[in-house]
Amino acid sequence: MLEKLSENVLDKVSIDYLRNQVLKNAYGNDDTPIARLDPRVLLIWYLFFGLVPWFLGDVVTLLGMFIFCAATTRLARVAPLVLFVFALGVFSQTGYLLIVSILFSGSIDALIPLLVMTLKVTTCSLASITVFSGLDPDRLSNGLLWFGCPERLSFSISFAYRILPIMFEELQNILLSFRMRGRAPAHETLGGKVHWLVYQVKTIIQSFYPLMLNMAKRSRTTVEALELKGYRYASTNAAVLKIKLGSLAIGRNDILFIALSVVWALGCFALPHVLEVLV
Amino acid sequence: MSTSTTSAAQAHKLMVFVLSMSLYGLATLVSELIPSVQVGIVEFSVEFFLFIPLTLAMLFDPLSVALGAATGELVFSEIMLGQFGGLGELEKFLTVAIAVYVAGKLVPDPRDIKRVGIAAFGATALQLAMSAAVDIIKVVVAVEEFEAVPGLPESVYFTEGFAFLNDLLFSGVLFCLLPTLFLAPRLYGKIEPLLGIKPRTPEDVADAASPRLALGAVVCFVLAVLAACVSKAGFSLIEWEAEWAESTGALVTGLAVAVVIAVIAAWCLHRNATISRA
Repeated sequence: MLEKLSENVLDKVSIDYLRNQVLKNAYGNDDTPIARLDPRVLLIWYLFFGLVPWFLGDVVTLLGMFIFCAATTRLARVAPLVLFVFALGVFSQTGYLLIVSILFSGSIDALIPLLVMTLKVTTCSLASITVFSGLDPDRLSNGLLWFGCPERLSFSISFAYRILPIMFEELQNILLSFRMRGRAPAHETLGGKVHWLVYQVKTIIQSFYPLMLNMAKRSRTTVEALELKGYRYASTNAAVLKIKLGSLAIGRNDILFIALSVVWALGCFALPHVLEVLV
Repeated sequence: MSTSTTSAAQAHKLMVFVLSMSLYGLATLVSELIPSVQVGIVEFSVEFFLFIPLTLAMLFDPLSVALGAATGELVFSEIMLGQFGGLGELEKFLTVAIAVYVAGKLVPDPRDIKRVGIAAFGATALQLAMSAAVDIIKVVVAVEEFEAVPGLPESVYFTEGFAFLNDLLFSGVLFCLLPTLFLAPRLYGKIEPLLGIKPRTPEDVADAASPRLALGAVVCFVLAVLAACVSKAGFSLIEWEAEWAESTGALVTGLAVAVVIAVIAAWCLHRNATISRA
């Protein structure tokens, strides 16, 4: 168990891998059918598929919506790491609950409500993966801005994607320099493994000290550069907003996508009743 | 003179916001990607990098740090990884923001180890307690036959209570209390000049009217619980409608109406934004 503990936490995670996956997710799939859609259409689409499943209780309807969301996620070509994190999240939200409640009651009755709940969680999460991972960050923040979201949020999204690679690299450099100067405890024995784990965690926490100082300098430079360009003035100016959002346009693909979604959703709602008639 | 002072203060607040957002965002992203280790039912995870905003809130303007940290978590670990959960995120946003803000307001002097420790531990406990309460309410609301399923209520209370204690004693002490005790006094007086800000004096946090603070926190928390409960309202609405007409027609119409309302509301928001900006 302890072997697994030390192995899982740090051995398998290379920071380069994480960085590549996140960047690939953000900028690597501009050419998918989902990424070409208008961000406003996708956000409204998300408003429906991310909210309505919570209010439904029918397994068949939920299953139909789940299939649709899974298909759009496939179309958006989401990075595998994101899907893995998603699967882990679903399990930790309801999967463990299923096991514990079976332990407590020992009956199978708990399965159906929990299956419904799992489907709800999965469908909503897949919808959000489609929208927020499928879209280019700049298009996403423009879409949010159009709906009147605070400028601060859309700035944060664009800024986050730009600063993340730099920060990852810096964190990695600091960790490596800690590793070069320090001496990791031997981890052949059980006690050694625990020491090693504690050492690694301590290193990560200590490396935030230089990271914080460096990031402070960087954020000062960023804000000063923004101020030079009149950021706080521009963020409240309607004319600037108009120029910024001028690139958004709804095309034929968007209309096709809306039509398909509406037809599918109506089909999902009708399906239980059709089944009822048939059976 | 006074306008240039407020403008400088605004720029400093933006700097603090950016600092807190990117640091906490990076940390939550990393912790989201590191797989957690399950030993039996006890989960050992590095879930919690709350020490970063806690430390920053004790050094800078607490409100900017709190908003920055909550936004950073939202943007880096939710939107970037496509894990945006809609209303559920509101709860996380508010609980993190409240906890960090309270911690920042409680510490007049970051060199005072005792106050720093109490504030860090208290804020962590506050955040965990709030999110555990919201989680319980959410499960009660989302599973229809909650009381009817034998063993489910007990199991939910048990797992949530256990997770609370586990998180507080493991993540809380290891990843919130100790790092904050380590970082806050060391960074004091070193990090502020880098942003061109004076180190904190007790007067900076003196305006913390504690009853008002408590009231604000309570109101925000109620808001978060309400957000989690919206699903219940939706439930009963549709059930009621289905009873009323007992046909798919009513259900579909109800949903179509909901979609139309959503679209119109979105439009209104947009118009509002453009008008207020013009």
